Amino acid sequence: MPDSVHAIELTVNGEPHEAVVPGRQLLVHFIRDTLGLRGTHIGCDSGNCGACTVIVDGKAVKSCMQLAVQADGRALETVEGLSGPGEEPNDLQAAFTRHHALQCGYCTPGMLMSATALLEQAEELSLDEIRRGLKGNICRCTGYVNIVRAVEDVAARRGLA
Amino acid sequence: MSVPTRTDEQIATWSPPAPQAPSVGQSIPRKEDRRLLQGQGLFTDDLWMHRQGHVHFVRSPHAHARIGAIDVSRAEALPGVYATLTGEEVRGLTDRFPQIAPEPGGSAKDYCLAVGKARFAGEPVAVVLAETRELARDAAALVEVDYEPLPVTLDGVATTQPDAPLVHSEIGSNIGWEGVYEFGDVDWALEHADHVVRIPHLHFHRFSSTPLECNAAVVDWEQGTDTIQILSNNQMPQFAAMFMAPALGVRTDQLQFRSQDIGGAFGLKLTSYTNITAIALLSRKANRPAKWTEYRSEHMVGSCHGNERTFRGIEVPVMADGQILGFSATAFDDVGAFMRYEPLGGVIFSQVLPGCYRFQHLRVDYRTVLTNKTPVGPNRGYSRLQHLWMVERIVDIVASQLGLDPVAVRRRNYIAAHEFPYETPNGCLYDSGDYHAALDRVLELVDYDGWRERQAELRASGSGRRIGIGIGSTLDSGTSNFGQARLINRELQYSGNGEAAICKLDLGGEISVALGTVPQGQGHETTTAQVVADTLGVSPNEVRVLAGADSARNAYVAFSGTYASQFAVTGIGAALGAAKALRDDLYAIATSVLECAPEELLLVGGTLSVEGDEDRAMTFAEIANLVYANNGALPPEIADAVTLNRRFVYRPPFGVPDWRTKSGHLTLTYASQFHACVVEIEEETGATKLLDYAIVDECGTPINPQIVEGQVHGAAAHGIAAALQETLEYDEHGQLLNGTFWDYHVVSCPDTPLFKTDNLPRPSPFTPTGSKGMGEGGGGPLHAVCSALQDALGPDVVVTESHNPTERVWQLLHEPDAAAREGAEVRSR
Amino acid sequence: MLLPSLAYERPETVEEAVALLRATRNARVLAGGQTLLNALKLRIVHPDVLVDVSRIPSLREIAHEPDGALRIGAAVTYDELAASPLVRAAHPVTAAMGSRLVDRQVRARGTIGGNVCLADPTSNFPPLLVALGARLRVRGARGARETDADGFFLAPYMTALAPGELLDSVLLPALAADQRVGYETLQVGTDSWALARASALVRCNGTIREARVALGCGPVPVRQRAMERALVGRAPTAAAIAAAAALAGEGFDPPGDVHASAAYRTKMAIVMARRAVRAATEES
Repeated sequence: MPDSVHAIELTVNGEPHEAVVPGRQLLVHFIRDTLGLRGTHIGCDSGNCGACTVIVDGKAVKSCMQLAVQADGRALETVEGLSGPGEEPNDLQAAFTRHHALQCGYCTPGMLMSATALLEQAEELSLDEIRRGLKGNICRCTGYVNIVRAVEDVAARRGLA
Repeated sequence: MSVPTRTDEQIATWSPPAPQAPSVGQSIPRKEDRRLLQGQGLFTDDLWMHRQGHVHFVRSPHAHARIGAIDVSRAEALPGVYATLTGEEVRGLTDRFPQIAPEPGGSAKDYCLAVGKARFAGEPVAVVLAETRELARDAAALVEVDYEPLPVTLDGVATTQPDAPLVHSEIGSNIGWEGVYEFGDVDWALEHADHVVRIPHLHFHRFSSTPLECNAAVVDWEQGTDTIQILSNNQMPQFAAMFMAPALGVRTDQLQFRSQDIGGAFGLKLTSYTNITAIALLSRKANRPAKWTEYRSEHMVGSCHGNERTFRGIEVPVMADGQILGFSATAFDDVGAFMRYEPLGGVIFSQVLPGCYRFQHLRVDYRTVLTNKTPVGPNRGYSRLQHLWMVERIVDIVASQLGLDPVAVRRRNYIAAHEFPYETPNGCLYDSGDYHAALDRVLELVDYDGWRERQAELRASGSGRRIGIGIGSTLDSGTSNFGQARLINRELQYSGNGEAAICKLDLGGEISVALGTVPQGQGHETTTAQVVADTLGVSPNEVRVLAGADSARNAYVAFSGTYASQFAVTGIGAALGAAKALRDDLYAIATSVLECAPEELLLVGGTLSVEGDEDRAMTFAEIANLVYANNGALPPEIADAVTLNRRFVYRPPFGVPDWRTKSGHLTLTYASQFHACVVEIEEETGATKLLDYAIVDECGTPINPQIVEGQVHGAAAHGIAAALQETLEYDEHGQLLNGTFWDYHVVSCPDTPLFKTDNLPRPSPFTPTGSKGMGEGGGGPLHAVCSALQDALGPDVVVTESHNPTERVWQLLHEPDAAAREGAEVRSR
Repeated sequence: MLLPSLAYERPETVEEAVALLRATRNARVLAGGQTLLNALKLRIVHPDVLVDVSRIPSLREIAHEPDGALRIGAAVTYDELAASPLVRAAHPVTAAMGSRLVDRQVRARGTIGGNVCLADPTSNFPPLLVALGARLRVRGARGARETDADGFFLAPYMTALAPGELLDSVLLPALAADQRVGYETLQVGTDSWALARASALVRCNGTIREARVALGCGPVPVRQRAMERALVGRAPTAAAIAAAAALAGEGFDPPGDVHASAAYRTKMAIVMARRAVRAATEES
């Protein structure tokens, strides 16, 4: 059976988009190759590392674990939507710098998107909830400590702690 | 001569800027962060070239097999397939890669694709270039290879037996290199010690720090210029060039490496030159650029792993008061199917031969052995962590067997603070440290006494839980003397070490620094800017640092790259030297133009002014203008002498080690780390939990303490992962059993403790800034977790494995004989 | 990683989905995709068509049935399960499981139906559903049928779903006032890979009246009938439960692999069975 193709409509970082995608295209490849948003990374091929995490309709998801066509009608947010080049980093990004929560930066976009959803979905966040909440994102550089501290800091500043 | 004209307004508004506070020693925010946080980093998979094709490797499914015919016709027949390449073609197109080992190990034939036979499951045997990544993968599946499976050799000790199948028949055995390191008089010590503790078997397991970004390269063999453009994430490009150029039969300057951001490497992106070579050949054959991004499942099986090492027949002479005189051991270092960076591990461990201790009588009979497993690469802590793990196991097993306090045994045997610089029996010079103070501090941080009380309470409570308190003392030796390679192969013309940097003032007076290092998250742009800014009297924000490889910048020597805990010495040394050289240029111009003596000049805020007469001043922009655009206004003797573009090579003060005695000054600095952890064991299941974890590190003068702490955290997480979760296991056919992140349990956020850390600087007397290289960390958690398990389990059990998952801990508790092999025994006089 | 060639369909109703599954040889149901997409990437499976049921409204409902059972649509995601007031009130252990499965990203996409239909030996829900006596409502060309969770899991990755059938919903019987649920897992890391699982449903009013215990991480979840019989009529003391748990392990044949040996898994499953019953008999 040949590949199917599908017309989809979605918003990407708030902007409406229309595209035609093959049925077998993963959302992450649509983001990186079609949209050219290369901040979303790929670190594994089994859905374990979370480097490709984006936010779809308010929830953090791994964009290697769903098809592009499944984003039809959805609101997609990627790291590029947090603050654009030349803009000031947002509060979470600034906290990552303050706490040295990134080293090589490869996991960082996915980590930011997970933390963004975690912070937006919670009414309060304990230390344990932050640590468990970031379980889906592997970082091989930082040992996670400073990432947890950065998210804790933002949670406190947003009145969630 | 005339001073460049200033407008009245400029003069009226100008005032000398406030002196800059030095930035070295401060945790200034990283310059790298913004682009990485905004998704604007440039990793290799983010790059592409016009007309590029996509690469997919065909890999051997067998761990050992003779390769017969390879039929690529079905793959090549697919529309959109540009080219294929097989091992047989490679044999005709290239020479084998150079080998570091002397004969007979040096006769191994290592090509970029398997030639004649495959030696590990996952070895590339052919490669396809096609229009899309999907097509390349589909076409690779159509390549038909005739394999004749051969018997496999997988055990690191058994592989040295005469009946083992040969991985490389040219070598005549599976021993790639062997050598005996012997210092003091071990036999005398064993004879005269009050006790001899024998440990028949210790095993350090195979794992990998698995950088989150896999290997990647975009290669274009430009036929017109005969230049091979290589965009990649290789972490030691000039080392790669030294291996690739002879194999390809090209000049090293035809190999033009570039990289920007690298998503972690940990030593595992050093030997990717084999893949890059195949991709270069493919690019030439197809006459178009070729892009390769490794899949994770390929990385796990086909790139490289950390060294697995088995220690046999360990004997430890101990005096009644707890003084350990040294040890004797045989080491079998399993490097998998190809040596590549090996057998350097066979000498690098000896940088830390006695560990943190005053051991005087030492013997290690070391063998680099080959098996039908994935080749190894110098994974974080390379070769020292395996050895240091054994040393720490020795200390804890001695304490446990003799009923001594493991803290007291350490205190009794550590090198004392007043003994630094301390010369080890094998001629290494430990530069600085205070191990006793660091141990005291880490025990305080972890609340050692409190946990000892809690441990006793728990023991009495019958709760089914027990805790162990463990210590890991470890070294992170940095800035290797490559002359150590001569201890492996005395013919090698290597010695010393070095790094290059170029510091220049650009047209508008802007300061930039080009580095030869290839950082992968270590913050080189930031720390370099700090050092250069302080040297040139500006803010770090005003210094642009060009990190990452770029052959065209010419900021490299043969050893350039980021590996082996050396940037704070070699990279910073080079940047500092280049900045000082640029400063010399600035002073030369200013003294001439301002007609003053150098000692009269103030260098502040990007301006040179005459002290006490601040109107006589030149900004960097004015100086740059004079040199680049207005040199008619410069006296010729100055114009001829300055370039504002200064290259400096930092060279550590090394000589050539003595291959006859296997001793010498093998490395420059010795950062140290002291770990203390508390492990809770649930007796019924063997499940472990880290209740507390503290680390004290010492790495000389920290340039940016926050970056240093980040490195400490990262190295500790790798060690914890390896100690409890991460292991690479093979079945009896040589198939890797956990070749994806589904099966290979990379440690996650909730399973990594919130480390408590402290830093006790003891500046190095040997380095440009008093800093020591650091970052590899020395595998502290492997030592500390095993130590804690030993502490919890008591003297009836010997922890002999570096990896202790739930089931093994359960076995140690419930089936100790089966779990601990031969355990340990004490012979007392 | 790239997927093999395939066609994608997104039916709007269960009827359309069933029709597509019937019409196409080698079609696969795509729900949350948190395992299926991996299998596709690694080219372990090669379906011609993916039938995406994740947006079918009726599969996304959680509601009470007339008999009091809680009906959970097969496409309800783990995080929806965890957040549902109905599930939290009627089946708090099930809700809690939804909140501790793998990670947040997987919980946002993965579905209870997918977990059940995959029938992976390490999956979370199968042993729980067997212990709870859950029923599975299946839709096929000839309409709906219901089957007990007990008989649904046939072998690793194999269920009683016939070709062309679709799991519609999971029906959790209402818990009586004296019924409690226990669920215990031995994991490699937090919210991670399991080496052993056991679940128990116990009716107890000072004396154990009824017990259902299922072990997980074997080829299929298995009821522990000897243990169950030994529990009935006993006071829920630690000693009585431990004595009964000594009978656990019947019909349990877990695999040995890189994560743990079969022998260890068996021992641990028994420990988990004992703990699950303890948890189900402790006063809340």
